[in-house]
Amino acid sequence: MKYNITQKKDIGGTDYLLEVEAPQVAERIRPGNFVVLITVPNGERIPMSVQKAEDGKIAMFVKKLGKTSRALDACGECTTLEAVVGPMGKPVELKKFGNVVFVSDLVCGHAENYLFSQVFSKIEGNHMISMQTFPTKDEIYPEEYLAKGLCDEYYLTTKDGSVGLKGHYLEKLKELLDEGRCDIIFGGGDIPSLHELAKLTRPYEVPTIVTVRQIMVDATGMCGSCRVFVSGEMKLSCIDGPMFDATKLDFEDIISRLGMFKEAEAKAMEWCKQQQECK
Amino acid sequence: MPNIHIPRQEMPKQAPEDRRDNFNEVALGFTAELAQKEAQRCIQCKKPFCIDGCPVEIDIPAFIKFISEGDFEGALKKVREENLLPGICGRVCPQEQQCEIQCVLGKKQEPVAIGRLERFVADWGKQTGFDDEFHIEEKKKSVAVVGSGPASISCAIDLRRFGYQVTLFEALHKAGGVLQYGIPEFRLPKKIVDFEINNLDELGVDVKINTVIGQHVEFDELRGFFDAVFLGTGAGAPLFLNIEGEKLKGLYSANEFLIRTNLMKAYKFPEYDTPIICGNKVGVIGAGNVAMDAARCAVRLGADEVYILYRRTKKQAPARLEELENALEEGVILKELVNPVRVLGTDDGWVRAIELIMMELGEPDSSGRARPIPIENSEFEMELDTVVVALGTKPNRLFLNKVPELETTPWGTIQVDERLKTNMEGVYAGGDAVRGNATVILALGDGRTAARSIHAYLQNGKH
Repeated sequence: MKYNITQKKDIGGTDYLLEVEAPQVAERIRPGNFVVLITVPNGERIPMSVQKAEDGKIAMFVKKLGKTSRALDACGECTTLEAVVGPMGKPVELKKFGNVVFVSDLVCGHAENYLFSQVFSKIEGNHMISMQTFPTKDEIYPEEYLAKGLCDEYYLTTKDGSVGLKGHYLEKLKELLDEGRCDIIFGGGDIPSLHELAKLTRPYEVPTIVTVRQIMVDATGMCGSCRVFVSGEMKLSCIDGPMFDATKLDFEDIISRLGMFKEAEAKAMEWCKQQQECK
Repeated sequence: MPNIHIPRQEMPKQAPEDRRDNFNEVALGFTAELAQKEAQRCIQCKKPFCIDGCPVEIDIPAFIKFISEGDFEGALKKVREENLLPGICGRVCPQEQQCEIQCVLGKKQEPVAIGRLERFVADWGKQTGFDDEFHIEEKKKSVAVVGSGPASISCAIDLRRFGYQVTLFEALHKAGGVLQYGIPEFRLPKKIVDFEINNLDELGVDVKINTVIGQHVEFDELRGFFDAVFLGTGAGAPLFLNIEGEKLKGLYSANEFLIRTNLMKAYKFPEYDTPIICGNKVGVIGAGNVAMDAARCAVRLGADEVYILYRRTKKQAPARLEELENALEEGVILKELVNPVRVLGTDDGWVRAIELIMMELGEPDSSGRARPIPIENSEFEMELDTVVVALGTKPNRLFLNKVPELETTPWGTIQVDERLKTNMEGVYAGGDAVRGNATVILALGDGRTAARSIHAYLQNGKH
């Protein structure tokens, strides 16, 4: 069985939208879950966040970063995926928290921001605040892919100030924290930013739950590659996470091990380029 | 006529210096001539003890007799009466501890090479396109089998032969469980696994890959859809050492090292997408079969020096002797009586060395093996750039967490009775999910036992 790709389009910078038919997965995806994709028969198992699950389809945001994501983007004839597995990981509890904030500054984080905003804003008693940071105006997604229309309060920031507030979400978030307007903060995207987020919120003692997907191989709890340390205790981000209390995570370990395969990734890209040239 | 004066026939193997550089199968299998010669050694005991040693009760003397007469088809049919995975079992069963240890010849000389003969007939069948059909009397009742490792495969096959409608669910993208992700290509070629798993399709078992029970489909839903359930979820979660340095880059669980290499084919990177970084000096902690597999993969991935670091001595190593010898032939170095204290890293977070402490052997412990005792102040450093932890595995929490009402043992394995029934109505379990770390053939045996219990349950109603 293959999974039909129903949409693939550029949405900003090096990011694109990927939509696939996967009815069973779509029906069960909750905020906090992720899916595993295999694009081609020789492919790796790639964990991905879901932006939207509707009508038997799931949509994801993908960055053209490594061999697989670029190859999939470049391949016009690729109309199917080998596998779409999920929902994986633990969903977060859907309940009234009060002021719920979601912050994101990178592709997967933006997808999560959308889904969280969509779901949490509908729970009575929640005031959903969404913050999204992009590097510059040209990289901002079209409005229908932003959390803007789904939340009660929205802040768009660009690092260069070309649109919206100037700077990173961390700066605006600090204002909200000072005003005592955050009951829970969720975050996704760039890992060093999430580390900064944890440092920022710790003194305020506001629960801060972030997505950390350490490098995964099977993503079903078997390999231990995605181990992270929460207050010194080993957890697997595929089955115990991927969302953890940011203030308890060992970010230095996470950031160090996320870089383990950098050289291999470069080699794969080089190989891929040569293959295309040969064709 | 049996001829006990023929010596046990050696199976041709790839030479160590050749096989260090490739993932092709090491053991090449008997030729027909060798197989017949070996088969003639069997004295056809009236009371064959070898069958008692076989967890799936193959009529061993009968199939060997067929081989000695040159009737390979007859031999294969006889084996397949009890075991539809002879190519797999002939390769990975620890026959020396099961059927062959019971062989009467073994008392005075070497036992008949039962495993090699089983493998021979399986390979003969594959090469010649042998096909036999089973008559199945269809029943309406249905059974879900969770997991697709050896226990699940054998359970699914037997249930199907009883006539039940069987659906098998696998979380990963390939069926086979440990046969796919764990055991390396050079010991068990994946084309053999795929070929024998194909039996499931041919029998009409509905195999659903990429389906995670408990995530994709809730367990209660599953129980609602099916009349009975077999859990063969394995023991797939890795154990770590809980020592300093496990955060370092270059430290792998054996599971990760093997999954990358076998299931994801990292040795073919970048043609295959999943990479592996194997350094020049590799230390594998543990001396079981998985440790040998990891060490031998490291050799093939290009490591200059590969060490098995073991706290006891060669004599107590839990690995099959054959696998340990194979590893040593390939240049793996067994370092006995050492135990890891901590793993040391470079400034940028890569493994640099391991600190070991020397051990000595004391009185036997509960396992019957001499207890290793650390020798005070004997710590020393050994330079390594890759560490693989092969200390065994435990049941995967992914499924168990979702079914808190399922009774487990203090070790996290599923609690069952002698019929392999769990505490839940109509739910049975077997293989590593129940046993912890055991063997393929014991899992196959469990699958068969569970199939019989499920058959009895579905025929007679509640247990």
